[in-house]
Amino acid sequence: MRHWRQATALVAALALGVTGCGRDDGGPGPGGPAAGGAVAEGKATGEITVWAMGAEGEKLKALADDFTRDNPGAKVTVTAFPFDAAHDKLATAIAGRQTPDVSMMGSTWMGEFAKTGALDPTPPGLFDRAAFFPGAWDTTVVDDTSYGVPWYVETRLIYHRTDLAAKAGVGKPANWQELTAFAKGLKQTGGAKWGISLQPGGTGAWQSFLPFAWQAGADVLADGKFTLDTPQMRTALEYYASFFRQGLAPGQVAPGAQESGFISGDIGAFVSGPWHMSILREQGGAALEGKWDVAPMPREQAGTSFIGGADLVVYRDTDNRDTAWKFVRYLTSPAAQQKLYDLVGSLPAVTATWQSGKLADDPLLKAFGAQLADAKSPPAMATWEQVADVIDDGIERVVRGVTDPATATREMQAKASAIGTGS
Amino acid sequence: MASALARQAAPTGGARPGRRDAGWPGRRGVTGRRPGRRGVTRRQRVAGWGLALPFLLIFAVFMAGPVLASAAMSFTDLRSADLRDPLAVDPVGVDNYVRLLGDETLRRAAANTAWFVLLGVPLTMVLGLAAAVALDAGISRFRTFFRVGYYLPVVTSIVAVAVVWRFLLEPDSGLVNTALARLGVDGPAWLSDTRTALPSLVVMAAWRNMGFLMVVFLAGLQAIPGELHEAAAIDGCGAWARFRHVTLPLLRPTLLFGGVVTGIGYLQFFEEPFVMTGGGPLDSTLSVAFYIYQQFGFGNYSYAAAIAYVLFVAVVGLTAAQFRLMRSKT
Repeated sequence: MRHWRQATALVAALALGVTGCGRDDGGPGPGGPAAGGAVAEGKATGEITVWAMGAEGEKLKALADDFTRDNPGAKVTVTAFPFDAAHDKLATAIAGRQTPDVSMMGSTWMGEFAKTGALDPTPPGLFDRAAFFPGAWDTTVVDDTSYGVPWYVETRLIYHRTDLAAKAGVGKPANWQELTAFAKGLKQTGGAKWGISLQPGGTGAWQSFLPFAWQAGADVLADGKFTLDTPQMRTALEYYASFFRQGLAPGQVAPGAQESGFISGDIGAFVSGPWHMSILREQGGAALEGKWDVAPMPREQAGTSFIGGADLVVYRDTDNRDTAWKFVRYLTSPAAQQKLYDLVGSLPAVTATWQSGKLADDPLLKAFGAQLADAKSPPAMATWEQVADVIDDGIERVVRGVTDPATATREMQAKASAIGTGS
Repeated sequence: MASALARQAAPTGGARPGRRDAGWPGRRGVTGRRPGRRGVTRRQRVAGWGLALPFLLIFAVFMAGPVLASAAMSFTDLRSADLRDPLAVDPVGVDNYVRLLGDETLRRAAANTAWFVLLGVPLTMVLGLAAAVALDAGISRFRTFFRVGYYLPVVTSIVAVAVVWRFLLEPDSGLVNTALARLGVDGPAWLSDTRTALPSLVVMAAWRNMGFLMVVFLAGLQAIPGELHEAAAIDGCGAWARFRHVTLPLLRPTLLFGGVVTGIGYLQFFEEPFVMTGGGPLDSTLSVAFYIYQQFGFGNYSYAAAIAYVLFVAVVGLTAAQFRLMRSKT
């Protein structure tokens, strides 16, 4: 009994201790977005630590070596780690105030981490935002302040079997009506089991769905308020679900089944990013060669696709802010962007890099480059992952026929508003 | 036992026999020391605490500290945006606990978890007991082989298990539905149908965990004296009556242990939906532990901590209930 009383007293004391703290103000993260000063001219000096994930992280060393060759006084330490661990590692680093000087950042995480106040606002005048794809630059902007620079990008196109399309007598779809006819043709005349494969729900379904919402003229947010319950959003949801209702899209896709289905001709088309080019070449082999192509997104009100990728950020607690930003500027120079593409195949965020070489000549890559000019990302907000979960859920409910689009958009709007944008 | 006897034998008052005499003055009132201290000298006490200190420090820093910190956290509005200044948060009292009462998704997760425990614990125990009885009585050859075989899923990585089970449950080409098709039954899309997803996970969890219970029950069975079975057999009891009236009552403490351990594990079930379904379809396999994980992922740290404490209370409650239900009737 006495132990219980002691434990209760301890908890109460801790609670009181917490009470003693309290927020300084209701504004954004500690410190607020006070813009830093300009970055000094001249060669970079001193040491910086850079964290990067995935294949880019593994090859970043080569780019860092080029940088230190030009700036002999500087030293860059690169730490590479897998993407799975990245979010937690960055969060832990911020909580423990052990952040690196520069890190790579998933473009949809910007809102969350910028809100912690750990990121240094992009110095004005150091970068020309017009040099980047507009959709990519938008991923760095949180509450009208830019907190980083786009590094590489990806967007989604419609992969399709050209042999089946030729058999069905359908060409690349220009609008929604044609896309439906395209999927129908692939299925009914082309001989595919499914005309097109779209994600029926579950984590990340929003990436598959939001392009259709943008194409219908809908958006997630306007003037700081969610706009998920609009006629345009309902139209988009209705259209997305129509593929499942008409039996043109499979109601479930097992991992890996999409590729094997496409190669065997069971799946006539699917929507995905540039990484699928190499997967199809590898797994499809000679049998699939010349039998597939990519098509741009259909155009209704707009022909928008999704833009993803990664940004580069500098942390506020850096001891070497000038060198950190100079390294970021170097990584986003057209030459370094070209080298990154050569090393790992990541698509450059800088438009100038697309003017020459393979990026300008290869028809498939050119299609991605063209789509990138009309690609969007959801608005950067601290609560995006949670809002995305609500949208995923709404999509799944409509696709499965549990609710109608009108009810689903109303619920999505109510839930998202309850969560808020975190600002 | 020994101390109870000693106490009985001790004469009222006077020095206590049988005690270690180190430092014990034996004469009450002379040194004025309280007898409750049992004659431990100051030096011994210092040495004792000194020896216990490393453990106490580790316990305080790595176990009690985080537990108390998360308890305190559940009374604040800590979110991911506060990462850099975790102490600069506002206390919100029991707001998080009030909010979770009205959380529809949490209610769904709680119902799923309850079903998982209600279906999973008896199923796992019955399977474990059946395997143990078969190994104890029937199968004498290859006993080690079967023991290893049944125990293997327990030590296999859940990720590997998930891959295999997903293949088995694949609706078009999976083994389960292929076998059902032979019998003329059109099997459902097990993991993507809201009605069959949770039962599928229950079966998988039972398959995965029965090996552990089998080993425990086997040990319990082997501790039951063979004479009791013989005596019952002479009295004319059949195999079922012997199992019902000899094995089960004597196995009660072992069954209680199995039930408690499995219940605690299943109330916190997380890995199965995490690797198999992601909580879907339509939240039909979302568990409370998985929901806590999601809320942590969304950066709602204080809310997640509050749910974690509610889950903790549920675990304690279930365990207490099992002890009450299964305690020996003496």
